[in-house]
Amino acid sequence: MKKFLSSPAFWRGAVSIVVFIVLWEIGARSKQWMAPEFFAPFKEMLGVMGFKKDYLPWIGAVPAPSKVLASWLGVLAQPGYWQSWYMSFFRVMSGFIAAMIIGIPFGLALAVSRAAHGIGFPVFEVLRPIPPLAWVPASIIFWPTQELAITFITFLGAFYTIVINVLGGARSIDVRYFQAAQSMGSSRWDIFRRVILPGTLPSIVLGSAVGMGITWEVVVAAEMISGGGSQQAGVGGGLGFFIWNSYVGGSYEQIVVGMISIGIAGFVSSELLRWGGRYATPWLKAR
Amino acid sequence: MTRGHIVIEDVVKVYDPEGAAVMAVDHCSLEIEPGEICMIVGPSGCGKTTLLNAIAGFHEITSGRIVMDGEVLCSSEKPKSMPGPDRIVVFQNGALFPWKSNLENVIFGPVMQGKLGRKPAIDKGRAMMADAGLSGVEHNYPGEVSSGMRRRVEIVRALMNDPKALLLDEPYRALDSLTKSVMHEALLEIYYKNKVTIFFITHDLEEAIFLGHRVAIMTTRPCKPKKVLAVDIPHPRDYSVLTSKRFRELIEETNDAVHEEALKAFQAGEKEG
Amino acid sequence: MAAAIPVGSADDAVAALRESTPFGEAPGALLARIAAIARPARYGAGERIYTAGDPADDIFVVLSGRADHVFASAVGAREPLKRVKRGGVFGWAGLLLGQTKRLATVTAAEPTEVLRIDTEALVGVLESEPLAGGHVMDRFVAMIQREFTVPAVLAQVRRLAGPVTEEMSRLALTMYRLSLWLKSPRPYLMLVGFALFLGFWYLAVEVWKLPRFREMPGVTSVVKEWLSPNPTYGLSVYTEEYYQHILVSIWRVTKAFFLATVLGVSFGLLLGWSRAFKEYVFPVFETLRPIPILAWVPLAIVMFIATESAVVYLAFLASFFATALNTMLGVESIDESYIRAANCLGASRWQVFRHVIIPGALPFIFTGLQISVGVSWFSLVAAEMVSGQYGLGYVINTSYMMVRYPTIIIGMVTLGIVGYATSAMVRIAGDYLMEWRVRELALAER
Repeated sequence: MKKFLSSPAFWRGAVSIVVFIVLWEIGARSKQWMAPEFFAPFKEMLGVMGFKKDYLPWIGAVPAPSKVLASWLGVLAQPGYWQSWYMSFFRVMSGFIAAMIIGIPFGLALAVSRAAHGIGFPVFEVLRPIPPLAWVPASIIFWPTQELAITFITFLGAFYTIVINVLGGARSIDVRYFQAAQSMGSSRWDIFRRVILPGTLPSIVLGSAVGMGITWEVVVAAEMISGGGSQQAGVGGGLGFFIWNSYVGGSYEQIVVGMISIGIAGFVSSELLRWGGRYATPWLKAR
Repeated sequence: MTRGHIVIEDVVKVYDPEGAAVMAVDHCSLEIEPGEICMIVGPSGCGKTTLLNAIAGFHEITSGRIVMDGEVLCSSEKPKSMPGPDRIVVFQNGALFPWKSNLENVIFGPVMQGKLGRKPAIDKGRAMMADAGLSGVEHNYPGEVSSGMRRRVEIVRALMNDPKALLLDEPYRALDSLTKSVMHEALLEIYYKNKVTIFFITHDLEEAIFLGHRVAIMTTRPCKPKKVLAVDIPHPRDYSVLTSKRFRELIEETNDAVHEEALKAFQAGEKEG
Repeated sequence: MAAAIPVGSADDAVAALRESTPFGEAPGALLARIAAIARPARYGAGERIYTAGDPADDIFVVLSGRADHVFASAVGAREPLKRVKRGGVFGWAGLLLGQTKRLATVTAAEPTEVLRIDTEALVGVLESEPLAGGHVMDRFVAMIQREFTVPAVLAQVRRLAGPVTEEMSRLALTMYRLSLWLKSPRPYLMLVGFALFLGFWYLAVEVWKLPRFREMPGVTSVVKEWLSPNPTYGLSVYTEEYYQHILVSIWRVTKAFFLATVLGVSFGLLLGWSRAFKEYVFPVFETLRPIPILAWVPLAIVMFIATESAVVYLAFLASFFATALNTMLGVESIDESYIRAANCLGASRWQVFRHVIIPGALPFIFTGLQISVGVSWFSLVAAEMVSGQYGLGYVINTSYMMVRYPTIIIGMVTLGIVGYATSAMVRIAGDYLMEWRVRELALAER
């Protein structure tokens, strides 16, 4: 750790993050398109290439990091903010756990049984390219509560990834393991339990980590599109709704606060998952 | 023949991972005559690849110097030489570019250096491949031909540059013993046609004695020559050598020394593991 | 030669044939016919099976054990010695053009069981099924050249007599593969799967009218609406608007994907290629990455005056992260020895970049691009639902607002189709650029 703190890699990283924040602060305060005269030739060049002014991002519209920080400190004291964390976490977890409970057996069934694969996989492949968010309206129509609708969308987000990873993982198990197990007289069930299941575990972990990332993507959008879930009062509808509500209410600092909060939430849950995964597959860290 | 005279003088290489200095090569001196096949034998991980990397210019040395044909490749003042087409490495696991066909691989050197145009390079490449018994696979990708063939393509790719020396890093390690035996004869055949200095690293004593003019048996970590053996079996050699009395005698003479080092390396590995 | 003792069962014979290179892809019926003309034989360890120069009568398929196959030196095989194990086929000299004598000497290295198949009888069976038979002969050529390393000049097999054997045309080959597929259970299982899915949808919504399902648009109403020249809700394959929405969405994804590919690939190459650049820039990249793309939606609307730019920006951002990250991983995955080899061969830094780094990273880059198209659609839909005008996401969202339920499903299905088509296009482009890899993988699968 000490070594890391004194390495050039750490300092370079620190420098670049500081520079990024400073540039952001300056850009946000300048309240102009890009920056003053300094960028004029650049703008002209873009104009020649067919870019219009409105096509370009306006950093001036983004709140400055100092203001974001101030607003964040203010928000920390509000129970509504924490309520949003809780709501989003709850939805992500329920959708994610449902996806594990349904997705892992489904993936294993596709891998083990030729008939299941023949019947189930084509339908699965046809549904898979439809982005989960396209399901939002249909989901709202179908499920009795908005809460369930959002959970269903998050479930979909993780489900496809988990199934594909489980299937791929089970298929890529070295044939020799099966032969070894058979030659030692294992039954079909033993092979499933002692070869296929542990052999697929690394892929399950990987698929879950990716699925977790998608789940956070989806929950945010689902909350924005569906307008926050059960509670209609401004706060308490999850972090996605927190962002959307801040946008509608014109408090742009809070948009960024919400974005960073979701980034942290997603990062923490992925790390937790990875950590759990390492615990579940101790043989992988041998080298 | 005056090309490819390599002198290794007192070379030391110390690795310094996390403060714990590990001496990989210890005051190693060795002279390789022009046009000679010099075999370096030692157990895996003994530091012989470090020596090869120093000659090739992939790693720095700590002190000492390496001279080829009067030109100082590296020394204490200039610890790392530039890799170049005068001494070409053939790698342990093979480094043919899988995305180029065999012929494109073969012409890579001269075309990159701008020594030959594409057309003449292709003509020369085809001729050299045919010479090495490789016609018919020019337009296949390396992934499509047998591993023995890939090794030969790689050697042809090196020879296309008319190098002074070839540095072979256990090139036949991954091959089964039968393919290996075929490859040895093929290598000798190529060598008799293009006399270059060959610096050949291996852990296989029989391979070393069968191919080499001289065999240097290295100590294990730190690495330096423990015993240098001149193989007095006349070239050209073929497979009958393997069953000859002299070959067996040479093996017997050296086997103990090699085994002793292997044991040391194994025990060192156990400790680390 | 040992007396023929019956070994193995007919099933095992077919299984061994299926494991062999030449017969591996032949249909089961053909294999059964070949197995029927095969005679089992057994050889003891060290027993000579045949000697070079003997008349080439039977073809041998190894069931168990191992035989050493040594070519006569005149053959010019690059690897004269080959060990043949289960599924290995030897004694094929009789299939070669103008060849009547054995080219090699084969000895059983351990107790070995084989199937002996008379060459002429085999040719007869293959000729009776010209397409499958021709394919078997092609695979024989491939095996003789690759596995037995016989020069291509020598490895020319006899042509099967018969109408279609001249050159198996591409169409014929496709038809043959199609017929193989149709003979397997897969298409029927697939039909069962779709029937179950659509049947449940139909019954649950329109016949049984289950609670909750009742609210959903039924399959017949969706299809009717989709194919109707006068759609109730204004959107079907006959209306111009439908295609306009599709085109708008595709155009947005194209812009975003193009921009993300150009910027992402070059950024990723730099990250992988220069350590200093990575150490400076990657931390910022990694800090921004955990923020879900869709959380950017409001900020994007604020940052861009033109909604169009905001939508494209969101789709771009998702693609960019995927492409840059995979490109970087691709560069880092390149084996150090390729770069060293190029240095040895005198390539300059730029040449190494052009001839080693870029092609070496290509497999990862294309993996990244496939993910990139997917996520690009993913975020485009969300962006269009929230803030777009036109586009498929917009269709889905407005149809919901205006209670045009069948149109929601039309939008979803169309999205699925278009999304699938674009990712297939990326895959095809990748296969085209990486022929070496396609061939390598094809060989690895055998």
